[in-house]
Amino acid sequence: MSTLTSVPLDVIKPARGRLGAPSARLVDHLLAGIPTLWLALFFLAPLGFTVVFSFGRNIFGGVELAFTLDNYRTALSGFYGATFIRTIIFAASASALCLAVAYPVAYFIARHTSRHRVLAIVLILIPYFSSFLIRVMSLHMLMSRDGFAEAVLNVLNLHSGPLDVLDTQTAVFIGMVYAYLPIAIVPLYVVLDRIPRPLLEASRDLGASRLETFLFVTLPMSRPGIATAVLLTAVPMLGEMVIPKLLGGSRGVLMGQALSSQYLQSQNYPLGSAMAVLILLAIAVIVAGLARLTKGFAEVGQ
Amino acid sequence: MVDRSSPPKSLLSRRTMLGLLGAAPATAALSAAFPGSLRANAAGTGQLNIYSWPDYFSADNLATYAKKSGVTPNITTYDSNETLFAKLNSPAGAGFDIVIPSSSWIKQLADKGLLAELDHTRLNLASLDQDLLDRDYDRGNKYSIPKDWGLLGVVYDPEATGGEIKTWEDFFKAGERPEVSGKIRLSDSGWETIGTELWLQGKDWNTATVEEIKAAGERLKSFAKHVKSFSGLDPNAVANGSIVMAQTNQGTARAAIGLNPKLKWSVPGPFSELWVDNYAIPKNAPNVDQAYDFLSFMLQPDVQLAETKYVGFPAAVAGLREKIGADTPNADLIFGGKDLDFKKLTSFVVNPETIGTYLQVQTEIQAAAG
Repeated sequence: MSTLTSVPLDVIKPARGRLGAPSARLVDHLLAGIPTLWLALFFLAPLGFTVVFSFGRNIFGGVELAFTLDNYRTALSGFYGATFIRTIIFAASASALCLAVAYPVAYFIARHTSRHRVLAIVLILIPYFSSFLIRVMSLHMLMSRDGFAEAVLNVLNLHSGPLDVLDTQTAVFIGMVYAYLPIAIVPLYVVLDRIPRPLLEASRDLGASRLETFLFVTLPMSRPGIATAVLLTAVPMLGEMVIPKLLGGSRGVLMGQALSSQYLQSQNYPLGSAMAVLILLAIAVIVAGLARLTKGFAEVGQ
Repeated sequence: MVDRSSPPKSLLSRRTMLGLLGAAPATAALSAAFPGSLRANAAGTGQLNIYSWPDYFSADNLATYAKKSGVTPNITTYDSNETLFAKLNSPAGAGFDIVIPSSSWIKQLADKGLLAELDHTRLNLASLDQDLLDRDYDRGNKYSIPKDWGLLGVVYDPEATGGEIKTWEDFFKAGERPEVSGKIRLSDSGWETIGTELWLQGKDWNTATVEEIKAAGERLKSFAKHVKSFSGLDPNAVANGSIVMAQTNQGTARAAIGLNPKLKWSVPGPFSELWVDNYAIPKNAPNVDQAYDFLSFMLQPDVQLAETKYVGFPAAVAGLREKIGADTPNADLIFGGKDLDFKKLTSFVVNPETIGTYLQVQTEIQAAAG
């Protein structure tokens, strides 16, 4: 605009009308450009390297560029293929478990708290004030022998003698559900809270029982929340490696551990990259599936 | 150090585990963010940048050195040899004067041209324990000076195992007993698990072929059903009986025995592992003179004694065992027990041809335990 200031006023006035809009758009483009550049640099570029590496050949601690499908063959066959499938089943079941616990909690907060709603949400989010690692380590201490869980279960006569839950799959599931519960509750709560009360009243008026109202009104209308909760829990679970290590005794290896050991220990970047690309594809499939589930849900909350 | 899953400050295994996972990068980030705060002020003109494992130097010794030389060592930390390798192998690795690679990685680092040859005339190697010098990972100590060392052994409850663990065969046999099965901890390093069977078969873990490693791994895979954990060993878990037999180093074993004196430690035959963490000087280190000055300071006997007490693993100077005071409980265990035979110890050397196999078979063993 500064070049225009020397132009006589009568020329500027109409010019502003024409140039003003594009320059505002320029600012928009600039503002959008910064995050785009950021993503391109720190997300797309590394992703590109990963894809290129995944077709390369391994030289210890480096990659020889090539076009071979050997890495994918290794990653999908035999042991690693089985690990991949086991990881998907594991993430699916842990995510389902998480959802099963989160739904009633979210339902309770949405329906049965009025004055204490903020308090309830804060209580759920407070664990996020401390580091993930600290929380998992605390669980480790609670579940170890002579730990708090053992004492409580013994007092309640639910268990007698020493508790040996640590280093088992059960402990891993407990850790997974615990760690990802809050991020499953929040989207469910948001959706349940926005279901219009009149719809529920109408359902009751038309003779539906409480259960029928839940099954045919509340549950279908909370589908977007379920989809988001699944997405937010299952995706990180696919790559989870800290919880199996700290609570599961590193038995029954999952994809996250297999992948990180390719990068950090075997120095086999191509195979690690192929595994990473496969996990990414699995996530893309999940997202596409969930997108279908929530199709036509723009009306929620209106 | 090879068995990082049971790290040196074993009395604080939980904290150390946290340290390995979280604090190490944090420390690195902090010291990178405030490099000046860790260095000597105007008094010293020199600089010394050390890249090391977390919490691996006695704070008192560092303070003494800073006072003596006017140079406060600037320490950055890493949590695995692989990280050290990746860093030295990249432009970001320039600028370090001393690094602490384990015996397993010296050869890889040297072969890649990342380490400088040492000038032995500037160091007093004669005072060091000769058992720790000229070992197969670095003949003639061209690139490395031992800092401290540890062993692979077994800590166990003799009541559960029904007798002593003298060989790795005893270990496997004891694992099948109902009192022991399901309460075993194995290392998470492939060479330490598969190595035991290779030794029993009379093979050398550094020259075993891919096929031999896979074949030996089969025994571990069928043994895996008895294993409870491959994660870092918590001394409390052995002391309270949730684990009754565990592969580990002498430091963690000593901590467990300190908590429960009925436990025993052994270094099974026919062979077991000796790992040595070493001082080395990277190629093109900017402050070589300062690095030699620091190394000669560290190799003094009283400094080495303080290091041993701080790190919990024996430093390399000869005759330390006699100097450790009677007030130190289970002092013999620091040095691996009373009748340790260095001829029956071997050090692992990472070989690009086989390391992938060791790691893959280890992953399969851990999966078989699930």
